Amino acid sequence: MKNKLILFWIIMAITIASIFVDYKKPASLGLDLVGGSRLMLEAQTSSSVPKITPEIMDSLQYAIENRVNAMGVGETIVQRIGTKRLLIEIPNITDTTKAKEFIGQTAQLEFKRPKTLADGTIEWESTGLTGKDLRKSLVGSAPTTGEWMVELEFNAEGAKKFSDLTKELTGKQMAIFFNGKLQSAPRVNEQISGGRAQITGGEGGFEYTEAKEMVDLLNAGALPVGAEVIQEESVGPTLGQDSIYKSKIAGIIGISVVMLFMILYYRVLGLISCFALIIYSLVNFAIFKLIPVTLTLTGIAGFILSIGMAIDANILIFERTKEELKMGRSLFTAINSGFDRAFTSIFDSNVSTIMTCLILYYFGASMVKGFALTLIIGVCLSMFSAITVTKNFMHLIFGSKEMKYPELFGLKKEDIENAYVAKETKREKAKFGVLD
Amino acid sequence: MANTNLIKDTYKLDIVKYRYFWLSFTGILLIPCIVAIIYLMIVQPNHSPLKLGIDFTGGTILQYSTEKKVSIDEIGKIRENLQKIGVKNPVIQTTVEAGSQEAKSEVKNLISIRTTFLGDKESKDKVNEITNVITKDFNSAQLVQVNSVGPTLGSELLRNTMMALVLAFVLMVIYISFRFRTEYGWIALLTLFQDVIVVVGVFAIKGIFFDTTIDSLFITALLTIIGYSINDTIVVFDRIRENMRFLAKKYSSDEIINASINQTLARSINTSATTLFTLLALYFFGGSTIKEFVLAIIIGVVAGAYSSIFTAGTILSIVKERIEKKHA
Repeated sequence: MKNKLILFWIIMAITIASIFVDYKKPASLGLDLVGGSRLMLEAQTSSSVPKITPEIMDSLQYAIENRVNAMGVGETIVQRIGTKRLLIEIPNITDTTKAKEFIGQTAQLEFKRPKTLADGTIEWESTGLTGKDLRKSLVGSAPTTGEWMVELEFNAEGAKKFSDLTKELTGKQMAIFFNGKLQSAPRVNEQISGGRAQITGGEGGFEYTEAKEMVDLLNAGALPVGAEVIQEESVGPTLGQDSIYKSKIAGIIGISVVMLFMILYYRVLGLISCFALIIYSLVNFAIFKLIPVTLTLTGIAGFILSIGMAIDANILIFERTKEELKMGRSLFTAINSGFDRAFTSIFDSNVSTIMTCLILYYFGASMVKGFALTLIIGVCLSMFSAITVTKNFMHLIFGSKEMKYPELFGLKKEDIENAYVAKETKREKAKFGVLD
Repeated sequence: MANTNLIKDTYKLDIVKYRYFWLSFTGILLIPCIVAIIYLMIVQPNHSPLKLGIDFTGGTILQYSTEKKVSIDEIGKIRENLQKIGVKNPVIQTTVEAGSQEAKSEVKNLISIRTTFLGDKESKDKVNEITNVITKDFNSAQLVQVNSVGPTLGSELLRNTMMALVLAFVLMVIYISFRFRTEYGWIALLTLFQDVIVVVGVFAIKGIFFDTTIDSLFITALLTIIGYSINDTIVVFDRIRENMRFLAKKYSSDEIINASINQTLARSINTSATTLFTLLALYFFGGSTIKEFVLAIIIGVVAGAYSSIFTAGTILSIVKERIEKKHA
């Protein structure tokens, strides 16, 4: 009993902490629910690219999509408009000036060799080794100084080019340009054949954010042409404010009906499950805010599904408990074996859901990711809520007393006539001997 | 306390006895769905089993400038009026041009409407019709821009998601086969397909007769249905697994399966009911932009409950019988 009280207070502490987080931290809501910024990007022609073809737009759109996704703000919209424009919509939570800077950079990485001109000055000359030859890049730190640097990993072709270039330039300087700006110009000591290179940030070294941004840009790929933001607006939600307002009210009605049903059908148990569900939702939202998860309708669908599964877990437990009571078990034993028996099905269905979601999260499009993430969090938490919170409340309320009022469980007296006839069964026996 | 007729007592429905009836009934329900899906795959130039909306195909974006701010009610009214003249699922957003906050007098309010391609021939008429709807409520509204927009969901993204789903299904079958038995894994997948076919089929039929198109939210709905369906089927299987462990000596597998379905019946109905309460509230009182999304999940939940009661157990009883005959 003492342990149960301690557990109860731990649950209360978590709940209060969650209310605090829910109240203090603003929710990050997605484009479909609150709107955000709309940027119109126009591809710029240049001397090397005199005409914008659909193919160029394809690769521009791909690179921009990658970059917008690298900002990690959840579902965004990148849409082609007419022949040479892209419409980009990002949720409110992002800083648009930063976003514009990040999206608009061409992110051209180039390796250059020195060329001595007639008057003795040195000019950097392209070598043909560029960001296109990369497989991926990472943020790393230099082993000796601990400074942040950008690590590059070339693809097969890039590795060969790099190896040839370092062979050619042994004893000379080689320059690395990013966005047309000289990053560093190390002296090449020997031929490097491993297909890896690092960019250190010159004298001062990189700031972490600087290195991270460069890595994100390199991984997203360079833009095939320059692009300029020609229009910027703030936009309302894609789902329409009118629609969201109505849906909110409808959602509240729906949940109230569910709670009413649970209380009418399962009586005290139903009331317990309502409290467990409220705690569950509070904690869940606090976690969403702490991570933070950008909530879109898709994410909310995942959350609602997890609520559905949490209710299902409660229903499973209650049905089993009622069955055990009907078979004549004492209240304490019935609650325990109700939980034990319901647990296997809760566990198996939750594990398969989590597995499915992990794969969807890893491979799916950003919309699918949002769904998978909220569902994983919700399912993990619902196991906690059903097993810990509901069980704890049930034990605290009923203790090991005899059941005097079967109506409290939505049972009829005659359903459990055996209850006082049958001898008390041990918990272990109740678990295995279905039929006594 | 020997309770010899316990198992028969729990029967409310004798499903296993009439299993061929239930399976044929299910089959008859599935036929129109499958026919509609195949029909659309043949008829549509992109061979998609559903009519695709602007998220997949792209469309047209219209922008109107207005002098006064657009209220929530007005957006709702515009949406209603647009649907009246046959503009399906328009994405209506109000926009405020940035950078104009300082000079308040110059704040430019825009209404942006994304809709399906306004084909070349009727495009002028349709645009004019839409403009009429807008100017009815906003006298000073002016059409600023008409542009074509590309899809927001590229085919590559879709393909990746499909691959992820296939992988997820394979893992699910392996997990269930490991925790239960191999046949349970396959049957779970089968009932899952049944649920998905019903939902896709209904929307294919709606597409044929009412020109209903699906948007990116439909994918979310399908994912939700899949999650729900797995959950439902596993609960029934879990009960069968448990009863098989304790009762296999006394009763035949048909009896056990039937008892298990009956024992989980209250739970199946109650869980679906609670989910349906919320969904129905959303469907009838919620916003029009999520109506189709909610409808898809409603159909999925009903189909999921149906398949876990009438398909999963009946197929399992047939498979078990075959296995037992083989061993006998």
